[in-house]
Amino acid sequence: MNTNSNTYTVVYSAIIVIVVAAILAFAAMSLNDRQVANMKAETIGQILTAAKIPSGESNAEIIATYKDQIAEAYTVDLKGAKVNELPAEDATIYTTSDLKAQNYNIADGVSAELPVYVFKNGTKVVPIYGAGLWGPVWGYVAITPDGKIAGATFDHASETPGLGGKIKDDPSFAAQFDGKAFDFSDAAPFAIVKGGAPAGKANAIDAITGATMTSKGLDVAINNWVKAYAPVLAGASSDCCKGEGKCCGCCAEGGCQEGNCCMDSEETNTEE
Amino acid sequence: MEYLSLFVKSIFVDNMIFAYFLGMCSYLAVSKNVKTANGLGMAVIFVLVCTLPLNYLLNKYILTPGENCIFGPNVDLSFLSFILFIAVIAAFTQLVEMIVEKFLPALYSSLGIFLPLIAVNCAILGGSLFMQQKDFANVGESAVYALGSGLGWYLAIVALAAIREKLSYSNVPAPLKGIGITFITVGLMGIAFMAFMGISL
Amino acid sequence: MANLKETFLTPIFKGNPITVLVLGICSSLAVTVELKGAFVMALSVIAVTGLSSLVVSILRNTIPNRVRIIVQLVVVAMMVILVDQFLKAFAYGIDKQLSVYIGLIITNCIVMGRIEAFALGNKPLASLVDGLANGLGYGMILIIVAFFRELFGSGTLFGFPVLKAIGYTNNGLMILPPMALILLGCVIWVQRSIQKDLQEK
Repeated sequence: MNTNSNTYTVVYSAIIVIVVAAILAFAAMSLNDRQVANMKAETIGQILTAAKIPSGESNAEIIATYKDQIAEAYTVDLKGAKVNELPAEDATIYTTSDLKAQNYNIADGVSAELPVYVFKNGTKVVPIYGAGLWGPVWGYVAITPDGKIAGATFDHASETPGLGGKIKDDPSFAAQFDGKAFDFSDAAPFAIVKGGAPAGKANAIDAITGATMTSKGLDVAINNWVKAYAPVLAGASSDCCKGEGKCCGCCAEGGCQEGNCCMDSEETNTEE
Repeated sequence: MEYLSLFVKSIFVDNMIFAYFLGMCSYLAVSKNVKTANGLGMAVIFVLVCTLPLNYLLNKYILTPGENCIFGPNVDLSFLSFILFIAVIAAFTQLVEMIVEKFLPALYSSLGIFLPLIAVNCAILGGSLFMQQKDFANVGESAVYALGSGLGWYLAIVALAAIREKLSYSNVPAPLKGIGITFITVGLMGIAFMAFMGISL
Repeated sequence: MANLKETFLTPIFKGNPITVLVLGICSSLAVTVELKGAFVMALSVIAVTGLSSLVVSILRNTIPNRVRIIVQLVVVAMMVILVDQFLKAFAYGIDKQLSVYIGLIITNCIVMGRIEAFALGNKPLASLVDGLANGLGYGMILIIVAFFRELFGSGTLFGFPVLKAIGYTNNGLMILPPMALILLGCVIWVQRSIQKDLQEK
């Protein structure tokens, strides 16, 4: 057979393309469920780790623990008002790619749907997302009912292993968050400080030596997201206005459902 | 400003050679003298700038599920990305080789011999894969990134070729001669390039 | 059988694809920071080189010469996508760590190099053995480099602390990309001191 004729070349190429596409489509489809389940279990595992809830290694154990421990999960907008429920029965969560989309929304400041996971022990877990040195960094921060940080986990796509990668691999970095708190009266609610956090400061931790850009990126990510969550984390959306007149930005924009508290808080704002 | 920062960053900070080791094979093989290094560097810039935006469009409108996808929002073809990217690159290099050979024989004699080498140059495919990961906002950004990475690669290969030309006069231990000392040289150049790493733009 | 044995043993030391043929450095030095990543990368490359050599060797008499390179690339890309999909499904954490470097196996010169040089002219079994052995020789270097980088850079091996007990302070330089090249230079130095016939004039 003449393997150099035009017809042969074209037919051969066509057959190869079809065969390869068929094999790949089959493999992708048959493995897809497993891949999605892996991604989801990994994210849920990170949420549980942040909330300091022990879970098993396997995907099934992680999801079972989550379903067992979750009280409610829902999304909020930038004013802290509830938008959607995330049903716990099938462990619906926001994946990392969902967070990426919300990160743009936060930057635009117009509308966003941000997930909040509330566990039975009262701990709220919220995600953070931003850019590190080489690629995205993200993570989860858990906040106890009294406003303290219960724990945090971080992950990254492509930070330098051993340097920036420590945000994930070095447990002592995330452990620094335990017992700290966000300070919403500050311009930046939280700080990751190069060269060591000042002793006794409740909203600052040490940056990673040799990973300045990753630490900075994480710092920006935490602050952007925590500020977006301020209405939720500084107090529930309905009583942020009833409080000590400390408006968290939600009221001035008419986000509060109840009464005339927005007027009060606007006054408080102008006084300040 | 955004473009400028991306451009400078992709040349110096995210340098294809020193930060990612991409395109190492031809980098080491074709860096014996400045003249050929120059030719290969040019060819890499050219192919990167042409294929990366093309792959960007493919990725945005065909491979990624979502509202931009021409097959509808739920069709996820991302598993085909490797094969599609490499096919674009291989077809493009083949095409360019034929066009250049026919219409620009002078350019072909200086650049053409490197084109087949480029289809399997990791820097080209790597550029497309990083583009996918970095998630650029528009074609312009991907083109700027391509130009920057290409220039970074060009800079690296010409610099190494210049060093190797001088190095041939020095007395290197016999087992290190050739490729051994070249690796160490590239490593030292990489350390020098790390000076750019902390720069925030 | 003696022939097969030789086919298998040559690439592992005497004709090692990295240190002797200088192929395939591109895609992989970046995964040598930790042993775990290097190990999985080595296994992936072994699978891809072995299987694509086998497939191309089976098809060798039917491939039209003009589209040879593209057909080879398609076969290699298919294998790489399969490996990637399997890792995503069964070793998700590791797939994430290797990120784009899995895709870059496509342009790893070892794979294409062995197909061109061996699989196109030899029977399937011999090609399979040659592919596997080259992947193995490649993986071995990867693991040697990763061993030193993880041991001295992080003081651990496979993530277990080893050097911390004797009060070793981690050497951050080992983790950074340039050290991989310098270490590789040293590996070549050692090998060529032992095998004097490999030294370049």
